[in-house]
Amino acid sequence: MRLSSLTRPESLVPLVALGTTVVAFALLPAYTDSGIASFDVYNTFQIFARLGLVALALGLTMIAGEFDLSVVGTYALGGMLAVQAGQDSWATGVLVAVGAGAAIGLVQGLVIAGLKIPSMPVTLATYIALLGLTSSLSDGLSKTYSNASVTLWVDQTVLTFFSPRSLITLGLFGVAALVLGVSRWGRELRAIGGDRRASRVAGVRVDRLVVGTFVASGVLSALGGALLSFSLGSANPDPGVQPLILAAAAALLGGVSLAGGRGTPIGLLGGMLAVALLAEVVTVAALPAYVTQLFYAALLVVIVVIDAPDLRNGLVRARTRLRPPAPTAPSTRNDTGALHA
Amino acid sequence: MTSSPSSARIGDVLVRVDGLVRTYGSTRAVRGASFDVQAGEIHALCGHNGAGKSTVVKMLSGQESPDAGTIHLAGRLVDLGSRQAAQRGGVALVDQELSVVPALTVMENLMLGDPQVGWLDRRRTAARRFRPVLDDLGLGHLRLDQPLTDLGIGERQLVEIARALGQQARLVILDEPTATLSDVESAHVYSAVRKVAASGCSVLFVSHRLGEVLELCDTVTVMRDGDVVATTSTADLTVESLIVQMLGELPERPDRRLDQDTESEVLARIDGLSVPGRVDGMSMTLHAGRVHAVAGQLGSGASEVLRALAGLEPGASGSAVVDGCPVHLGHPSGAARAGIAFASNDRKSEGLFLDKPIAWNLLATRLGHLTRLGVIRGGRWSSSLARLVALCGLDPKRSGHSVGSLSGGNQQKVFVGRSLGRDDVRVLLLDDPTRGVDVGGRAAIHALLRDAADSGMAVLFASTELEELLDLADVVTTMHQGKVVGRHAGRTSGALLLREMTHGSAADEPSAPAEQPPGRAEKREVHA
Repeated sequence: MRLSSLTRPESLVPLVALGTTVVAFALLPAYTDSGIASFDVYNTFQIFARLGLVALALGLTMIAGEFDLSVVGTYALGGMLAVQAGQDSWATGVLVAVGAGAAIGLVQGLVIAGLKIPSMPVTLATYIALLGLTSSLSDGLSKTYSNASVTLWVDQTVLTFFSPRSLITLGLFGVAALVLGVSRWGRELRAIGGDRRASRVAGVRVDRLVVGTFVASGVLSALGGALLSFSLGSANPDPGVQPLILAAAAALLGGVSLAGGRGTPIGLLGGMLAVALLAEVVTVAALPAYVTQLFYAALLVVIVVIDAPDLRNGLVRARTRLRPPAPTAPSTRNDTGALHA
Repeated sequence: MTSSPSSARIGDVLVRVDGLVRTYGSTRAVRGASFDVQAGEIHALCGHNGAGKSTVVKMLSGQESPDAGTIHLAGRLVDLGSRQAAQRGGVALVDQELSVVPALTVMENLMLGDPQVGWLDRRRTAARRFRPVLDDLGLGHLRLDQPLTDLGIGERQLVEIARALGQQARLVILDEPTATLSDVESAHVYSAVRKVAASGCSVLFVSHRLGEVLELCDTVTVMRDGDVVATTSTADLTVESLIVQMLGELPERPDRRLDQDTESEVLARIDGLSVPGRVDGMSMTLHAGRVHAVAGQLGSGASEVLRALAGLEPGASGSAVVDGCPVHLGHPSGAARAGIAFASNDRKSEGLFLDKPIAWNLLATRLGHLTRLGVIRGGRWSSSLARLVALCGLDPKRSGHSVGSLSGGNQQKVFVGRSLGRDDVRVLLLDDPTRGVDVGGRAAIHALLRDAADSGMAVLFASTELEELLDLADVVTTMHQGKVVGRHAGRTSGALLLREMTHGSAADEPSAPAEQPPGRAEKREVHA
């Protein structure tokens, strides 16, 4: 990889985000009286696993130039279905959840690609509808998952720092990175996010790709919800908006652009890990919860600054203004040209 | 020749278009187009804007389906229902609009949508196929992993052309491929196109540049009002006879003006204008009532001079004075306050509100005059509108239609018209004012600019096209590699301009002294 490619936003932004939070994490003993235990790393990955798949799902749709607000609705529904259908067999629960996620994504993708309407209103409506559906499935109450062996299994410690749940999440990031890295989908996903008309003219099957992206988003979100329910031993019909906000922050910290066309699964992984690390830092340092939000906001400000074209122009302008005009500036070469009248 | 795009022999009819019809709403865009293209032939498709050639291209490339008529490829009747179907049938396209994706790298753009690239990215295989095409197009210096955002507009266009030429298609359609290219870049395109044709591929070449049509193509099909007027061998055509076929009559040339005697007032002075890496100490004066040109190929800095004056180059330094007031460089609003209006060469993204009505676009820059306390005054609005629509020669009945529905030439009229008839505009800057505009529209825009100058403005445009420079400009300043090469007032020879634009001047060697204070620049300027 060339050095210059690291200075592009899709690499630079997640590197800065992750670097900042890793430093903050490593310096924990300097400003708290607790050291860093291996449990803190484990816990960071648990926080990562809680939201990782939702962030991946949202991030993929953002790369394609769409915005899937319904991820949290699917996340809640997936968790609920996995608990209700998976009391006897976790596999059935996961299958039902993932199937529902795929179906939701398929319908949304077909509507958005077929009718060429913006994804925001469609997915907002889906989000609200799915929350209603999830509540109706459980009469608005949390639903307990009684299969304790599954709950114990998904969160058991593996290799000191991980759990099966965080490894599955990491693995899916890896799969996404691999698929988008070696197949034409990665290129085409960024292409349709960057310039849809040009992609269509070039011969990209734009509509299929949009539908496929929403299906992937639904599957990932539902699976994320199922894993969370298994881990908590219960399904919550309304996760609130916090997961959506954090997933969007993770995607932006991961170098995905709101305008679409930019970002990679590895970048998203970096962004999501940054969010998780920050949450862990705040927990270990026993800071009040609102500090977390301030930190996220500050981190986003840094990212926006790195990424802002107008700001860069302003800096160039300021530099031009401050620099005294060079006395040897070749400013008069022009008029030696002859005037042919 | 295992890599040959088709088994057809040169001279065989490879593409047969028969009786194509396409109607949009109540408009019959194409009324029955028929022509043949042979293998190895470079076939031009010419016509006035709105003649239907873009629609024919869309039907051949699978973007539109014909209402009636048939397309045969290599003797077989084909249904090109989608871009993918057309590509599988062996049709490659360079679209009229730049259709590469800035978010991707050069290589990714080349592979985008290519039917020969499978699900797995075999970059090395694809690189082997595209590298020679890039070299042919003069892009040998590009790295394949370079992001497209590093490239200028001309290079991006060449990448799109490389994509089409590298697909080893049966039929390559190039829809105005050279509109954004410099002459040197165009020459690369011509030789690459000839090479592809020589391998037995058919080329359909759509262009407004009649000179290149006659030089490059074997045959010309001219369309007018949705019909094919004639298909003629270029050996039997001249520019004049081609224009007659396209328009049905010869367009009037605008009066060439040689006002060497009239002393006109100096309206603006530009001194030592520099844009890092682009323009190196450019100075010139602009006179009221005159049309000035900066002539330079892409990358010469001509376009950047205009952008810097319009406040769009944040790194610009130097001084510019309009009517005695210094211009605050680096801010578009500063330029506007100084009375500078700018029409970019990219009217779609830097000029017009395409989905808004013509009226809104025309009046957008003079809302101050049309409003009281933020509320638009209907009387003033409609009288200003009527005056401007008449001035620009637009159809008053269509002023409620969106600008996007107009042809390229009429869009440009709206763009220029926005800066006319305003007493706060003193200097009118236009970057490539007739880009993508047909012959008739070009004459109308030239007349508009001449009127603007006659009303007392200084007009400054940048162009690479000799014909336009010779037709329109009173004073031409040529630029090469960021520096001024020469100035020419009055009648001058096209050959001289071209030489200065492509090679710089013989006296302009790096050894020449460069230590003069900037103030001296004006003293040498002679108003011929």
